[in-house]
Amino acid sequence: MMKDRMMIFTVITTIIGFMVAVQFQTTKEPDVRDTRTVMELRQELTAEKEKQQELIEELATQEEMLEQLQNTGNVENVIEEAINGLKARAGLTEVSGEGVLIEIRPYFDENYQGGAIRTVPAHLVRMLINELNIYGAKDIAVGSQRIVSTTPIREVQGVTLINSRRMTTFPLQVRVLTDDPEQLHHYMMTSEVKEYLQYENLEFTSAPMTDITVPAYDQSMRVRYMAPVKEES
Amino acid sequence: MWLPFIGLLVGILLGLSTGIRVPDAYTSYLSIAVLASLDTLFGGIRAHLEKTFEEKVFITGFFSNIILAAGLAFLGVHLGVDLYLAAVFAFGVRLFNNIAQIRRLLLERWSKRKKKDLSASP
Repeated sequence: MMKDRMMIFTVITTIIGFMVAVQFQTTKEPDVRDTRTVMELRQELTAEKEKQQELIEELATQEEMLEQLQNTGNVENVIEEAINGLKARAGLTEVSGEGVLIEIRPYFDENYQGGAIRTVPAHLVRMLINELNIYGAKDIAVGSQRIVSTTPIREVQGVTLINSRRMTTFPLQVRVLTDDPEQLHHYMMTSEVKEYLQYENLEFTSAPMTDITVPAYDQSMRVRYMAPVKEES
Repeated sequence: MWLPFIGLLVGILLGLSTGIRVPDAYTSYLSIAVLASLDTLFGGIRAHLEKTFEEKVFITGFFSNIILAAGLAFLGVHLGVDLYLAAVFAFGVRLFNNIAQIRRLLLERWSKRKKKDLSASP
């Protein structure tokens, strides 16, 4: 009799233990479900494919360089060329070519009642640069400051700083190099950032140019989170 | 005596090793089921100590309590009333009552045994 009772208790406690464990697991690690739609998945796939393509191209150039290094006796020239190429890509050299010149200036109508406009808001500069990049800009300079991958765009006491330099002169010139200036010009004239600038009483004009010069990044590059790879012998 | 504890451990290990997870929407049902089962378990222990334990009552009570509690929670969700709170409240109060009663019974037994020992020893 007593044994039966213990068996019943055991079965019940086993069930309780099981339920508690399941509940514990459920509340402890909620299952993160993939809720992306087919469209989003496709987009991601396309992005990954583009990345793959870029990597393949990169690999091809590297292989070409390796071949050059192996074939030519003059290693120095090849290395120098490679360094120059990297410098150009990092924005450390002055580049010129065809592109678009964008000028941002204050715009007042007769009903304007606000104060003086000192600078273009930082978030709009960021938005402009993002849009330019989306539409195929290769090199960008805002004012006299070259935009590189580490360029900070900050707002300090109401003044926008780019590369820690104040951007207070109007018109603010944005020089952009691109392969197709005409197309970029049209994109920018219909872009969203134009509208946002209007809310801040700023207007911009864009003009395609056949020859435009983008200055080099003039400060020392601060590279963090990177270390030279020690080659294994 | 130790068998129920071993059962509990086995249950927990089984639950953890199978890695079964309940969908988020049903966690409240499971939690209420756990509460109901704990309530029944302590009721059973109390009845066992009071010597009024009946297997059929215990087993049917266990399952019907779980089903009732989960059903109540389900109904609450669909009516837009937090009915599971009623279940939590009822089971919680009963759980505490049962545990208090179990503690009293155990204390009583322990003091009785002590008295017996004292009267037997000289």
